[in-house]
Amino acid sequence: MAPHFRSFILRRLAAAAGLVFVVSSAAVVLARLTPGDHLSEFELSPAQIAAERHRLGLDRPLFAQYVDWLGRLARLDLGESTRYPGRSVAGLIGERVGNTLMLGIAALVLATLIGIPLGVITGRGRADPISVAARGGSVLLLALPPVVLSLGLLFVASRTGWFPVGGLPPDGDAATIVRYLAMPVLSLGLPVAATLERLQSRAMADALRHPSVRAARARGISGTRVIWRHALRLSLTPVLAVYGVITGTLMSGSFVVEYVMTWPGLGRLLYDGLIARDANIVAGCAATGAAFLAVGIFAADAALAAADPRVAEAR
Amino acid sequence: MTTTRKHLLFLGVLLLIGGGCRKAPAPATTTGPVRGGELVASLRSEPANYNRYFDSSAAADVVALLTQARLVRVNRATDTPEPALAERWESSPDGRLQTLKLRNGVTFSDGAPFTSADVLFSFAVAYDAPGSQLGESVMAAGQRLEVTAPDATTVVVRFPAAFAPGVRILDNLPILPRHTLEPALRNGTIRKAWTPSSPLGDMAGLGPFVLTEHVAGQRMVFSRNAHYWRRDQTQNPLPYLDRLVIEVIPDQNAEALRLESGATDLMSNADIRPDDYARFKRLADQGRLTLLDAGVGLDPNVLWFNLKPQSGKDPRPWLRRKEFRQAVSCGIDRQAIVNTVYLGAAVPIFGPITPRHGAWYSSDVSPYPHDPARARRLLAAAGLTDRNGDGQLEDGSGNPVRFSVLLQKDITIRERTVALLQEQLRGLGVTLDIVGLDLGSVGKRWVTGDYDSIFHGFQASATDPAMNLDFWLSSGTNHFWNPGQPKPTTDWEARIDGLMRQQVQAQDPAERQRLFREVQQVFGEHVPALYFVAPKVTIALNPRVVNPTPVPQIPQLLWSADTLAVSRPRGPQ
Amino acid sequence: MTRSRAAGASLLLLLVVSSIGAPVLTPHSPLRQFPDFENAPPMWPHLISANGSVRRPFIRPLRMVDRLERRFAPSGIEVPILWFRDGALWSIDETDGPWLPLGADPLGRDVFSRLLYGARLSLSVALMASLAALLIGIVVGGLAGFAGGRVDTALMALADFILVLPAIFVVLSLRAAMPLVLSVSQVFWTLTLVLAASGWPVVARGVRGVVSAERRKEYAEAAKSVGASPWRILQRHLLPATTGLLLSLETMMVPAFVVAEGTLTLVGLGFPVPAASWGSMLRDAWQGSAFTDAPWLLAPAGALALTVLAMQLLGSTAPQTVEPSK
Repeated sequence: MAPHFRSFILRRLAAAAGLVFVVSSAAVVLARLTPGDHLSEFELSPAQIAAERHRLGLDRPLFAQYVDWLGRLARLDLGESTRYPGRSVAGLIGERVGNTLMLGIAALVLATLIGIPLGVITGRGRADPISVAARGGSVLLLALPPVVLSLGLLFVASRTGWFPVGGLPPDGDAATIVRYLAMPVLSLGLPVAATLERLQSRAMADALRHPSVRAARARGISGTRVIWRHALRLSLTPVLAVYGVITGTLMSGSFVVEYVMTWPGLGRLLYDGLIARDANIVAGCAATGAAFLAVGIFAADAALAAADPRVAEAR
Repeated sequence: MTTTRKHLLFLGVLLLIGGGCRKAPAPATTTGPVRGGELVASLRSEPANYNRYFDSSAAADVVALLTQARLVRVNRATDTPEPALAERWESSPDGRLQTLKLRNGVTFSDGAPFTSADVLFSFAVAYDAPGSQLGESVMAAGQRLEVTAPDATTVVVRFPAAFAPGVRILDNLPILPRHTLEPALRNGTIRKAWTPSSPLGDMAGLGPFVLTEHVAGQRMVFSRNAHYWRRDQTQNPLPYLDRLVIEVIPDQNAEALRLESGATDLMSNADIRPDDYARFKRLADQGRLTLLDAGVGLDPNVLWFNLKPQSGKDPRPWLRRKEFRQAVSCGIDRQAIVNTVYLGAAVPIFGPITPRHGAWYSSDVSPYPHDPARARRLLAAAGLTDRNGDGQLEDGSGNPVRFSVLLQKDITIRERTVALLQEQLRGLGVTLDIVGLDLGSVGKRWVTGDYDSIFHGFQASATDPAMNLDFWLSSGTNHFWNPGQPKPTTDWEARIDGLMRQQVQAQDPAERQRLFREVQQVFGEHVPALYFVAPKVTIALNPRVVNPTPVPQIPQLLWSADTLAVSRPRGPQ
Repeated sequence: MTRSRAAGASLLLLLVVSSIGAPVLTPHSPLRQFPDFENAPPMWPHLISANGSVRRPFIRPLRMVDRLERRFAPSGIEVPILWFRDGALWSIDETDGPWLPLGADPLGRDVFSRLLYGARLSLSVALMASLAALLIGIVVGGLAGFAGGRVDTALMALADFILVLPAIFVVLSLRAAMPLVLSVSQVFWTLTLVLAASGWPVVARGVRGVVSAERRKEYAEAAKSVGASPWRILQRHLLPATTGLLLSLETMMVPAFVVAEGTLTLVGLGFPVPAASWGSMLRDAWQGSAFTDAPWLLAPAGALALTVLAMQLLGSTAPQTVEPSK
């Protein structure tokens, strides 16, 4: 299977690179097409604005600007930010990608550890207290707007004083970081846990009615073994199908959580860039998001292939 | 009166004026604050450039207030000019020449001496550096000042024409270090000299603090400037604080929660929203916060109409008639706005001048208070009546009376005010469409004249109307309803232009007030822009903060950061 | 029909009927602002009078005690609820103040009324957009999963592209191209379009994953060898395997879309003021200190939770006993 696998990886890499390129191009073009830019008529005089636009080359035709951007991209230069003048976009992203990854991975782990097992339990369809509580919790978390959840957690932190109210100190040992990580991870991870729980629960319920599982039970195999060997494997397919997307989205940074929790990550950078109409930041963050999405989907597909070897063989 | 007596009288007046200009250094307001300690403040944005000359955002303003100093400081609490880097000044009889004597022995934060050359340099940057945004702020009625330095400790400022605010204008100019920035000015890189990507050690200033650390998107740390020149009433060196940390917290809710939990001591935009008052009051009653009343604000929100002359046929000529605007003014119940949007913490006003402007404020310059019956008569006078009894007014051609208002999205107070306006105008039969857009789109439409009306708010800090000529003069860039007119297009705008020019040059305060009162009356009669309420500003801060001097303009507390102190170390977080 | 499904269906029916019947169920217009009642707390119906006796349902009207501190107190009287009067199912005589069953928002508008009227706009948009996203996702994902190869790669690349693209720019451009003042129906259809366009990639990815896995299973191969047409295989075997996933995604998209509708007002694409919608009500609650002082402003979140619960119950399957022998 080795040559298969190698070409598989190469193709995936090429696809990922293509996606990154197309997305950042689109972001740059859209930014120029959207009326208005980072200069506001309320703050600067028309003469100043015209001078500034000329200096940044914003008054040239769209095609010329795009070609310029392509040239810079070839040198892996993501450009300079207008929101943070003088700083390179690559530098800004580099500063924050670690924070976002840390938060994203922690949230993903939390969500998986909570969501998948709970989903398996509730998928059995029995009305025991755990299942009812888990289902109710999921419904509530799904229906709650993310902002409300984040603010609620911040509020709890503020009142109890157990956890800091958002932010992240630049120099901190592991223990400090964990303390500052707690609220954002809950805020980001709990809704994902609910999503995974619902998906897994549904998939499990379907898997339990699958002919192969029924056959196994008819053969007399014990209930627990049936669940953990057959049904679980079957149920993973639909979950993994969206797991990649979930992973990718988490890694590119949730703007709401980072904004409310003042977590210095990519999500907030993207939001700041959007508000300030900084095309380079937006393109850079979009490109990073695309890269993470590609990685996430790749990982999920690989897991899917591992779970169901026939899928991998046929590729 | 004999000639000798006249001369004596003249001398006496001169002495009085000259003597009056000699003031002691502005003292700290109370005695006994303890030296040392750290204060944490929150700010909602970050500066793009540390140099106030190239960034006029609120964040850059805070940085400038903390790290730079001015020749003359306008004390925002008392609204009087105070000596800062200039220890005294003398005005010529016609007011056109101001001679300032600079303080001796002042050095920058890096030890280099401060001289008049730095003042000249600062003016040169303000006027001539490409990208400078301070140029207009240090021009008198649109013309440059002539600044000369006869020696190292004297600066002579010559105004092109009589300029009543005088040295107040120098409050707008932070003094830059010539010794570090002049090379940058010469080779054109001065804009990039003080940005977050350049080494912080290069920034030298005359302010109470020095910026020692900036983590992008998170915090800025300011440490005491050991060379700071100012001293308090008992001659102790200022600032009291060792360190001032500014955390960047963009979300207002998170900011308020941090203040509650004690993680921050005060907010740079220290005023609290009316929504939050109840919660903060409870905390204050428990002793966890202090609430201060800072008075009425200076910069109310404003609704203005597009009064640019329309090219071609105007489908809604009534929108540009003064009867319509007068009717809107009569139709709005300002007290209802005070009650609903500000929960009572505001005062109704009818023009851009609020009670905070002191002597400039006249309470009786608007003839159009709340009177719905009169509003209907005025609308009828403009040809707008309800022709078919459906409750909606129509114009002469039967089209419904309907116009739109643009506003910047996501600013709660403005959104609620406009919702209230919409409801009240509906009672009159006028339909108002509310269009919320992002700031860039609103600004663009304003400049191109592609709008009916805009509801917006600006930040002001000067009380003297002669410092806001860009608003009052028809040629001004902030003459919202029709900016930048080469010649005044209406009689009343011409009249205001004339009165304001006189007002700028008049020396006698009573005469100036009389002239400005007339300006306000003309404004009140033609109402190109509608004002509704001026908020009462309440400030919340941690009780450990000592010696605050609250004012309504932002930054309400940090403007006098050198006299802030803390009474105890911060508790465990 | 199982008990859960019946419960889900009835709950959903209740929600739909409430929103359709809003004019009858709410004593006030959702636009009406009551001065002196800004941020008023809810006025629940009571059955037990102050002197301990049971009487017909009544309410205790509130009056404002301190405006800035947002304190209200009962005015001490008990006003009976009147039924079937003036075209409203329940109302009161309002000489002593209005009846605000779920309190008032910061502009003094009746939250209960805005909740029911808002359901019409918000739920319709969310439901329609999510159904559209499902349909598009099924078609695209099914095609990609079944055809495999280049078609699969191309379609999934398109889905990924839309997922990662910063939607704000697209919406901003769209908004700039539209007329300045938008009517409710214009906003409605634009929102449906935008939300559906943002939702289908996730559905497509999920469907494609399931279909491509199922396609290679024995029963599908068997069907193919017997000569069944691709359409038949897709329709009878592969797509039904995705129903579970689709139902889960549907119940996740609806609340996300309601919240997104509120967020899109940030770029000017919201229902025009003063129309009531759950999204804008939730955003208003975010602005103020809703948790401590005005939790009734979060009523749309509660209603949303009920909706999601209803959909979950409706889509649930019968419980499976796993160990019959135990």
